[in-house]
Amino acid sequence: MFSIVFKRALSAIPVLWIVATLTFIMVRIVPGGPFDMDKALPPEIVANIKAKYHLDKPLSQQYVLYLQRLAKGDLGVSYKYANRTVNDILTSAFPVSLELGLLGLFFAIIFGLPLGTIAAIKRGTAWDAICMTGATIGISVPTFVIGALLIFVFGLWLRILPVALWESGQHMILPALTLSASPAAYLARLTRSSILETLERDWVRTARSKGLGYWSTIIKHVLRNALIPIVTVLGPLTAILITGSFVVEFIFAVPGMGRFFITAVSNRDYDLIIGTTLVFGIILIVTNMIVDIAYTLLDPRIKIEG
Amino acid sequence: MLKLQIRTTLLSLIVLALLTSACTRADKRYEANTLRINIANEPPSLDWHVSTDSTSFDVVSNVMIGLTQYKNDLSCAPACAERWEISKDGKTYTFHLRHDVKWSDGKNLIARDFEYAWRRILDPATAAPYAFFLYDIENAYEYNTGTLNDFAKVGVKAVDNYTLVVKLKNPASYFINLTAICPSYPQRQDIIEKFGNRWTDAGNMVTNGPFLLKDWMHEYKIELAANPNFFEGKPKVEILKMFMIPEQATAFALYENDQLDFIDNRSFPTPDVYDNRNSPEYRNFPLLRNNYIGFNVTKKPFTDKRVRLAVSMSIDRRIFPRILRRQETPSYTWIPPGMLGYAADSGPEFNPAEAQKLLAQAGYPKGKGFPSVSVLYPSREDARLVMEAVQDQLKRNLNVHVDLVNQEWKVYLRTLRRDAPPMFRSSWGADYPDPETFANIFTSRNGNNDTAFKNPEYDRIVYQAAGTATPEVRAALYKKADHMLCKEQAAIACIYLATQNTMTKPWVHGIGINPLDLQFFKDVKIDPQ
Repeated sequence: MFSIVFKRALSAIPVLWIVATLTFIMVRIVPGGPFDMDKALPPEIVANIKAKYHLDKPLSQQYVLYLQRLAKGDLGVSYKYANRTVNDILTSAFPVSLELGLLGLFFAIIFGLPLGTIAAIKRGTAWDAICMTGATIGISVPTFVIGALLIFVFGLWLRILPVALWESGQHMILPALTLSASPAAYLARLTRSSILETLERDWVRTARSKGLGYWSTIIKHVLRNALIPIVTVLGPLTAILITGSFVVEFIFAVPGMGRFFITAVSNRDYDLIIGTTLVFGIILIVTNMIVDIAYTLLDPRIKIEG
Repeated sequence: MLKLQIRTTLLSLIVLALLTSACTRADKRYEANTLRINIANEPPSLDWHVSTDSTSFDVVSNVMIGLTQYKNDLSCAPACAERWEISKDGKTYTFHLRHDVKWSDGKNLIARDFEYAWRRILDPATAAPYAFFLYDIENAYEYNTGTLNDFAKVGVKAVDNYTLVVKLKNPASYFINLTAICPSYPQRQDIIEKFGNRWTDAGNMVTNGPFLLKDWMHEYKIELAANPNFFEGKPKVEILKMFMIPEQATAFALYENDQLDFIDNRSFPTPDVYDNRNSPEYRNFPLLRNNYIGFNVTKKPFTDKRVRLAVSMSIDRRIFPRILRRQETPSYTWIPPGMLGYAADSGPEFNPAEAQKLLAQAGYPKGKGFPSVSVLYPSREDARLVMEAVQDQLKRNLNVHVDLVNQEWKVYLRTLRRDAPPMFRSSWGADYPDPETFANIFTSRNGNNDTAFKNPEYDRIVYQAAGTATPEVRAALYKKADHMLCKEQAAIACIYLATQNTMTKPWVHGIGINPLDLQFFKDVKIDPQ
């Protein structure tokens, strides 16, 4: 197992290098620079600023400098948030997104899996229709609408949960619910189709004909086998959720890292753009590796190749 | 039936619990001696030599104070300097500092703190974006651009602990205003050298203003505490919580829920501004931020000043408050009302008939033959509304069609600065309460002059006004310049002045807004009575 993890970690290095290089090139192609401001600065001052951040050097030299820093784990400096490094920014924002994302993932699973399971085993009934209507709403209604509705109902009308801010456990509930709506709906639909497919298998009929109880068959055998495609999507889903959501953080004033995926680009904060992209890449690689390991636990016939 | 009864009872209990919870929350309306506001975004830096944005300055101007300070009527009053003298030639300022101004760590503020700060902002290694505010000082430009390395030759000298002498290259009537703005605040060399880039962290930062930096949770909240050493006396508000809530609707909901005590445009969605315009908590203030349509005078058809004036005269500015709904003030002149040099007749009046005549004289009778024109604006809802209204008016009043093009903010800025299209929308907010901050923009060498309007006579008048001490003479000069810019040459068509819209809870007293949109909280009091 450890050798597999080690090999995967090694193979991640060229992937991350390619990601960093492509992002480095792309951010510099985009028109507009980090120091294009509302109030134009005199060229002499722009020259001072560019010299400070080595942006006056040829692009190839900037790239080498960036890679040298990156090799030491230094993601660079923020041009927007002067006096703060990208490492500082992500270190303070990521734990918040992680906390919110994990809670969102928890909600997505506890709502999504039961809804999908009920819809599948009650296929064609009113339960199926209700669950799948809920799932369709969860997928099709934009996050900002769900967030606004939750704020209105629980924050302003019933006043049982905080409208926004990030002060206590209570403050996490509405943003986590908002964050989980779409993934929960997606998981519900996926669970339904996966269970329906599994229910058609011969071995299910065999198990039932041998006298195994209905619920016992569903929980012990059907659900376990149906989980394989669900676990597959849980990898990237987790990566997306724990790296934050711009919309949810924006609506609920959550100090997470999701906002930087958007604001770093609009600010042309070059190092921060590359930093957020790399962090997302690393998390995606890690979650995918965890998913691969989970496969072997769900189905011992599956072997991971390093 | 029993099941139904159980369900009904459970539902009633839940509803009761919710209502009780609602009542409990509703009772908690304010926090004692605490003011809660929203600054919307993370301040990019609290180092006032590096920051350039209003969010950072909102924080800095409450923890720091300069040689002088603005009152809410924008008069420039003594602060760290109790008095100053200006030499007869208008080039030497001698500031006499108060002896009782202390830094938050108890040390006395001395003239050397200003000398050090001004040396640091002008040091090319600091790469301070707003270093140019001090370019009026003798040799400041040369030092900042690296052509002079000896700071002793720059016109700033701490003669003794409480006397600072500043020598200017040329007389600059507006210079005293610059001593009240953030880039000119003093700094502590020992603190900056000790903590390096971390000197603005809570616990490290040493300031001399009414509040101290108590806590800074990045991207979320800044907490300031009243400074017991503040020379004007400790502020009445003990804690100032500055939240960073980017979404207007969320911030407004928090205000409605009594979780914010004061909100402004940053927290005030347009429909709510309109709905609350009669509320006793609502106030509206005009700002010194002028919005305009710029013409690239080097691109046809705007090479002809008759065309520019015709476009300007065909826009009915009264429509902008109706579509933007923040009680904006229609604007016809570049120098706004209330400022030295303002004259209502410096700008063109709305006169479609006259505009049509001018257009015909320029060779486009009833808009015939008018070339294809692109109008650029930033991708923003308010800008879109404004430009669609302008497009509509040009069609109706001049039979001229223009194409609207919007670009993402940074792309828009890059396009304007490199090769501005024939027409564009832009705006400018005053840095200090002097007409210089407006008039200078359209001088030939100013980097913010995107119109390519280069008029030696205009430049001469503006530079002369800047160096003139007599207010009446200055007013006449700026009036002449403004008339030239908006009417005679019509390089721009001013359209409206922005406003600040606020809501203040009844228990908050003493909040004042000024046209520069600087928010000072040192005189605020929380009192439920």
